[in-house]
Amino acid sequence: MAHLKISDVTLSFGGLKALSHVNMNIEPGLITSIIGPNGAGKTSMLNCISGFYHPTKGKILYKEKDLSHASPHQVSTMGIARAFQNLELFSGLSVLDNLLLARHQNLTYSFFHAAVFYGKASRVEAENRKFVEDIIDFMELEPYRKNLVGNLSYGIQKKVEVARALTLDPEILLLDEPMAGMNIQEKEDIVRFVMDIQKERNVTVVLVEHDLGVVMDISDQIYVLDFGEVIGSGTPDEVANNPKVIDAYIGED
Amino acid sequence: MSQNRWLATGNFFTSYKQEQRTFFTHLDRTIFTCFLVLLFGWPLVFEISNKYMLVLDNILIAIVAVMGLNLLLGFAGLISIGHAAFVGIGAYTVASFSQVIGDNHVFITHFWPVVIVCAGIMGAIFGAFVGLPALRLKHLYLAIATLSFQMIFEWFIQFMSFFNQGQTIYVGRVHWFTGMVGRSDHYLFWYYIILIFVVVLGFGVRNLLKTKYGRCLVAVRDNDRAADAMGMNPGLTKVYAFALAGFFAGVAGALHAYLYRGVGFESFTLHASVGYLAMAIVGGLGTLNGIFWGPVAIKFLDIQVEQFSEFVGHYLTYAPNVATALKPLSFGLVIVLFLMYEPRGIANWWRIVKSYTKLWPFRY
Repeated sequence: MAHLKISDVTLSFGGLKALSHVNMNIEPGLITSIIGPNGAGKTSMLNCISGFYHPTKGKILYKEKDLSHASPHQVSTMGIARAFQNLELFSGLSVLDNLLLARHQNLTYSFFHAAVFYGKASRVEAENRKFVEDIIDFMELEPYRKNLVGNLSYGIQKKVEVARALTLDPEILLLDEPMAGMNIQEKEDIVRFVMDIQKERNVTVVLVEHDLGVVMDISDQIYVLDFGEVIGSGTPDEVANNPKVIDAYIGED
Repeated sequence: MSQNRWLATGNFFTSYKQEQRTFFTHLDRTIFTCFLVLLFGWPLVFEISNKYMLVLDNILIAIVAVMGLNLLLGFAGLISIGHAAFVGIGAYTVASFSQVIGDNHVFITHFWPVVIVCAGIMGAIFGAFVGLPALRLKHLYLAIATLSFQMIFEWFIQFMSFFNQGQTIYVGRVHWFTGMVGRSDHYLFWYYIILIFVVVLGFGVRNLLKTKYGRCLVAVRDNDRAADAMGMNPGLTKVYAFALAGFFAGVAGALHAYLYRGVGFESFTLHASVGYLAMAIVGGLGTLNGIFWGPVAIKFLDIQVEQFSEFVGHYLTYAPNVATALKPLSFGLVIVLFLMYEPRGIANWWRIVKSYTKLWPFRY
């Protein structure tokens, strides 16, 4: 059974078709990658899933529920978390607060409990703090716990971005170019984290990435987009030998 | 936790609950308690004229109002140039009670805490309503939307005979357990009451900022797209921020009405709104202690300028009133200087002083 089923999704802005008739099946427990040249519609696809865009036509089904008209905060509460391509962190807050913000829906005390901060509010905060600390431990962010996010280096901020999405405790994690702009060492780190996220936390990962070496290494399934259309899909080997994909990347002879 | 809870040195947290404390060491707590005792106790020892007591009351009321504005502008990043109108909503809630049931009705004179909370709720309702444009507007455009609310408010009050066309509407003297609060005790009595409001609301804000109801404000300020992806409804959060600001403003307005024993529209004009903005900026946006520094600094400046112009007035006998010219001038100058040289406000000086004294007498 497919976890997330994207059927016949078309997204158009006026006359421009960002996505046309895209079909995808995101299988549970696997790493699915979406690749393609610049402007192929990869990020648009993620935006459609996470609710920032609503597809013009077609459906996105997650556990039999239609996501195509849900807003981002509804999608995130259903168990689909998203890390952004360009850092979209709360730069005026510490790493800890950034992660705690992702627990927003799980902090179930009322306003008056919060104003008094006694009993339930205090207890629930402490419980969620424990969860956040687990994630900090998992993503190896301990030294930066209390640092303002805006003051951290780019590589660390990217890690915080992934950690924050992970703090939502999602079933599906959408990662939008988590390795863009990083050096080899940082890339290796992130790859290790992505694989750990999949194996240890049993999270389905959807990865949008330009680094083909990484994608071919870790993906279980790949979809190739070009000009908003799926031109190839399958295992890394199948995709690498697909003539259409080779055309799109290298050009025709 | 180690044994010596008086010093920060050598104390490590062993549970997450310990880290939630407002005061980390006994020393902090003691200093704060002493400060509070001092604030409550000094009128028993010193006696000051009603004129200066009124100034103190005004400062405290401004602190309540700026609490709301700082949450809105500093934490949630939403500009409001109509804050005085929200304060006015609170004051006119009291005024309309007084118009409908009479200014000496038991509800107003005996159940005044209920009236004050009612005014706060009224402010919150209007705040939420005025906050609706924030769903669509940002920055300068939102500022204009709130400015228009200020204008509508002023116009509305001035043209409604129910509100006496903005002329004073009287509010009766309140009763305490010892009977009616008389003329001589009036300002002292309200000093204590407003101080209690400031302390309670101050702790309320402190607690809110530790929880999701405070964090969501900052999230919306820093990045509302990401806030949306993290499971918050940014639109709802912005409306909530306006409602919160409206509540504080409403309480401040009701206190103002009771303190002056009357409501007139001149206290809630655009000029007052800009004054609240200045207090928030000078105090330090997005900081808790800035809420207290700002009103104190601006009101203190007012007094100083008044005394200075009185002094200058002796020498410039041909100038009719130096204070009228000097007040707006110094007020504007202070805002400009703060925006240029210390945009983080007095709260930043406080931070520097604190981090310096922490290590004193060692350099690092």
